[in-house]
Amino acid sequence: MKSRWLSLAIYLAATLSGILVLLYPFFLPTNSVQKGFATYRAGEMPAMMTLLLGLCLMVLLLEAQGPMMNTKLIALLGVLVAINSALRFIETAIPGPGGFTPIFFLIILVGYVFGGRVGFLMGALTFLVSALVTGGVGPWLPGQMFTAGWVGMSTPLLRPIVRVLMSERHSRSLSGINPEIILLAIFGLSWGFLYGAIMNLWQWPFIAGPQGQSWVAGIGFSETLQRYLAFYLVTSLVWDAIAATGNVLLIAFFGAPALRALRRFQQRFSFSYTPEPAGSSVQPSEGPTG
Amino acid sequence: MKHPWVWVIWLAAVLVMLSITRNPLYLLTILFCVLWVGLALQRAGAEITRPFSLWKFAAWIILLATSFNALTSHYGETVVFNIPGRLPLISGNVTVEAMVYGATSGLILTGMLASFTVLNLALPVRDLISLIPRAFFPVAVVTSIAVTYLPTTLRQFQLIREAQAIRGHQMRSLRDWLPLLMPLLVGGLEHAMQLAEAMTARGFASSRATTGRSMIYPRLCMLLGVVLLAAGWLSQLSGAAVGGWMMIATAAILILGGLWYLGSQSQRSTYRRPAWNWKDGLTLIVAVGVMVVYLLPIPGLNRASLYYEPYPQLTFPPFSPLLGMAMLGLLIPGIFVIKRNPV
Repeated sequence: MKSRWLSLAIYLAATLSGILVLLYPFFLPTNSVQKGFATYRAGEMPAMMTLLLGLCLMVLLLEAQGPMMNTKLIALLGVLVAINSALRFIETAIPGPGGFTPIFFLIILVGYVFGGRVGFLMGALTFLVSALVTGGVGPWLPGQMFTAGWVGMSTPLLRPIVRVLMSERHSRSLSGINPEIILLAIFGLSWGFLYGAIMNLWQWPFIAGPQGQSWVAGIGFSETLQRYLAFYLVTSLVWDAIAATGNVLLIAFFGAPALRALRRFQQRFSFSYTPEPAGSSVQPSEGPTG
Repeated sequence: MKHPWVWVIWLAAVLVMLSITRNPLYLLTILFCVLWVGLALQRAGAEITRPFSLWKFAAWIILLATSFNALTSHYGETVVFNIPGRLPLISGNVTVEAMVYGATSGLILTGMLASFTVLNLALPVRDLISLIPRAFFPVAVVTSIAVTYLPTTLRQFQLIREAQAIRGHQMRSLRDWLPLLMPLLVGGLEHAMQLAEAMTARGFASSRATTGRSMIYPRLCMLLGVVLLAAGWLSQLSGAAVGGWMMIATAAILILGGLWYLGSQSQRSTYRRPAWNWKDGLTLIVAVGVMVVYLLPIPGLNRASLYYEPYPQLTFPPFSPLLGMAMLGLLIPGIFVIKRNPV
């Protein structure tokens, strides 16, 4: 029980710290500027941000991998990550329009079916592996891993809503529309925009000049937010809208069969190996537990 | 030069310098060193599969950053032309200073990408995986499986596509991807099942789990570390630099210490341990030395030249020969690559 609470505390603290690190442009108050922070150290911020985000990511990864001594989980994740990285590989070879990417489809569904831990690992490791094989390791990687991990980790939050909706409607046949797929599609839509908005924060203070939609240190939260929104609308909205629409279409077209396949294999993976006690008679020791 | 950690420290030195300075002369010097090392590696036979060309990316990003900044930032005294009207963000003076600022940002991003490209050129995937800390060995196993299974997945995808094409399947819309994706997913999951059984049969994970829930104290350390990290970051941002740094440093020690402890509890065997040689040692010393020169206030060095800004009026960037010479230390890995026997 203690361990469970500790685990929850670690997840919360690492996630909140990661958010805090990512949102630093909004929190840089005026007195930092007066002490020369903005003039001399604004350039160091992306490196600092990468470093701190890397530390938070390490803690989250370590906590998430806790129960991974299980060979089934290791094999399952290894293969699913490979499939998702292959999809990213295919996407880079045959680029879709704008920010369209197929990788969030599987991250969302795996997180939804197998739970937040597996979802987090699926998101984070997909980016790690695809970066390794395409030579895309860079300072942006911790941010990508962190954010994609959040996508997978947050998906189980839909389960209670789906349960309520399913119990109200009793079954899919009543309305002809599967509320589970609709909710997952809305979730994919939201993350399509959110992922872009979060990843922009890494480069926003760094790349833009000092006016209008660009970052200026220490001008206050609301002014910074306005500038960021202007920057996002001009530079990223269309790109992210294509990404979000892509998520919706993928989930709408392929969500139901993919969910069925994942659930079928989840049941097949729900068995455990029990070590034979020393000196006991030889008996079959495997049996379904799930 | 073979040791993966030496390459990582060289990369850290490049990133530290790129993060500190906005002086185009220094940035060009760093970029020259990085590209020279990259070309030396390519000449020695190293290659990677990149989805895009670095040169095209560099040209694109510099052009984009320059024009974006020129059109949206109207500061500076050297006006090139004026965009009339009331177009939001765009209307106003287009200045040389804004262009230089934008181009400088593009140079920094190019330098970062180039340095990581060099790391990817220098280290094969197995060496990159070996850099994963010992505490993360389950993650490292997953990564190894994924990297190994990726070419099989791509082959499998090709086979499924050919099989469907023989059956007359045509790709007309997004819906037509279903007969390709589902066999890929189901086939992969079947493979995972077999792999799990094979791993269990060979005794994987049969020993006591050491990074699991029983390790309360190291995890408490890391929890404390994360909380301190957030507090230190907030202190930094609010101007309490010394206190903030101390908290962040303590947090890093707690987190890394926890990782080290958990890692030391797990057994790890190495098939072939990378050996240190004098070239690795020398590169390490030079890379650390370069970082020290840039980070510490050493008397006699014109550190103000690092913080050059083109605003309000463009001037020629100052250049400190000592700092410039220190940067050339980044060339060392390239020299050793050229001198080694052809691969």
